[in-house]
Formats: sequence, structure tokens, C-alpha cells
Amino acid sequence: MVTLRPEETGLKELLDRVLDKGVAVDTSVRVDLGSLDLLGAKAHIILASFKTAEKIGLDFPEGTNLNTPAWQNLKTTQLCPVCGMESRQEELKEEGCPWCGCYRPDER
Amino acid sequence: MDATDQMRDKTMESTTLTPERTEDTDLAGAIDRILDKGLVINADITVDVAGVELLGIKIRAALASFETAAKYGLEFPSGTNFETAAWKETMIEKEECPQCGKRVEREELLNFACPWCGWESAKAKKRKKAGVKVEVQ
Repeated sequence: MVTLRPEETGLKELLDRVLDKGVAVDTSVRVDLGSLDLLGAKAHIILASFKTAEKIGLDFPEGTNLNTPAWQNLKTTQLCPVCGMESRQEELKEEGCPWCGCYRPDER
Repeated sequence: MDATDQMRDKTMESTTLTPERTEDTDLAGAIDRILDKGLVINADITVDVAGVELLGIKIRAALASFETAAKYGLEFPSGTNFETAAWKETMIEKEECPQCGKRVEREELLNFACPWCGWESAKAKKRKKAGVKVEVQ
């Protein structure tokens, strides 16, 4: 039996997308008086999930240990396109998804 | 076949007992998701007056649940005792059961079955078919 990944709707789906894609906000404000440059403010803000942050190389707060197994896992795991569960990249490629048993490239 | 195996088979055969994952309500699910995935907020803000840089703020923030924070090695406030059983628990990789939604030890769920609802992964089924006996520690 193949259970397809349930379609998610609403807030959760929206959030997932936003976190996975990341959000960058770049703003700058200038206040001039006459020809005089009076006040300026610049803000570069970025918002992302841990996985995305790691992928695009964001800074983590000081003191973060970047050598834990979880960081390694981020690099070696992949989501199954059918059921959405996480498994090792090679396993998914060579033997198919260990969770749902589908997606075997050699059977296509 | 021991007693637990029998019980599991019975549960799976029973038509009156069909475990269904309860849908999370929107907000609770969303919060769960954020805390589970972790959120990084980085911001660089500068303020200048008449061309002179006056103020600079650099924010490197990470927001996550205790479990996620521990897994990714975020620093905890000084004085936190990491020797408690709960911290050791966070180091065990867990995964949500696709059927009942409970968080279960990943290795057990993948190689054997969900201890709560008896759901079996494709890998576990394949192993069972091949007659490989899986030892659970």
C-alpha cells in the first residue's frame, strides 16, 4: 500500500514554505532636510529554518557547536518525494524509500 | 510468537481499532513546526546621522525547542545541568510515526515497527519477508 503524502493546507503549509525558502528583508530609510542628509537607517534581516540557514551559510549565535550529528544529518539526508519522510540520500537513491517503499529509480 | 507479537497482530487485524492521526489545529501545528525545525533570525541594522555612522546592531538569534536546540548544539544558559535523563533522551534520533503521529525512536520505527500503533515501514516489511530477524535493543 502506498500512502501519498497528505496535502497540507493553510497556516502550516505556508509556514513550512516560508521557513524552507527563507525570508530576506532589506530596507533602507533616508531622511533629508533641504539638501542636508539628516538621518539614515539600514536593516538587513534574514529569517530561515535551521536547515535552510545551514545551506545558505548563515551565521549562528556564538557558542553554537556545529559538529553535532544533527548538522551532519542535514547534509546527508533527503526527503522522499512521495511520503515526505527523511532518509539517507544513498539509501533513497539505490534501494528506494525505506519508509513507504516507493520511488525506485530502477523500476521506472 | 510471543505475547506482544500476538497483541500487535490482533491490533492490526481489528477493524474497530483503526488508529488515525489526529489533525493538529492550525496554530498549535504551526508552533510545533517552528520549534521543531528551528528558526534563525539574523539582522544587521545601522543608523547614521548626517553621513556619520552612529549605531550598529548585529543580531544572531536562533529559536528552537529544547530538543532541537540540544541536537544542534546551541549554547544553553550557564548553570544548565546536562546530566539529566531528559538531555540524554534528546540525543536519540526520533521520528514521527506516519500513522499515529507519535514521536518514536527512529531506528525502531524504521527497522521494526511503531511500538504504539504497529505501523511498519517498507524496510521492516522487506526484512520480515526475507526472514531477517531484527533484534531490538
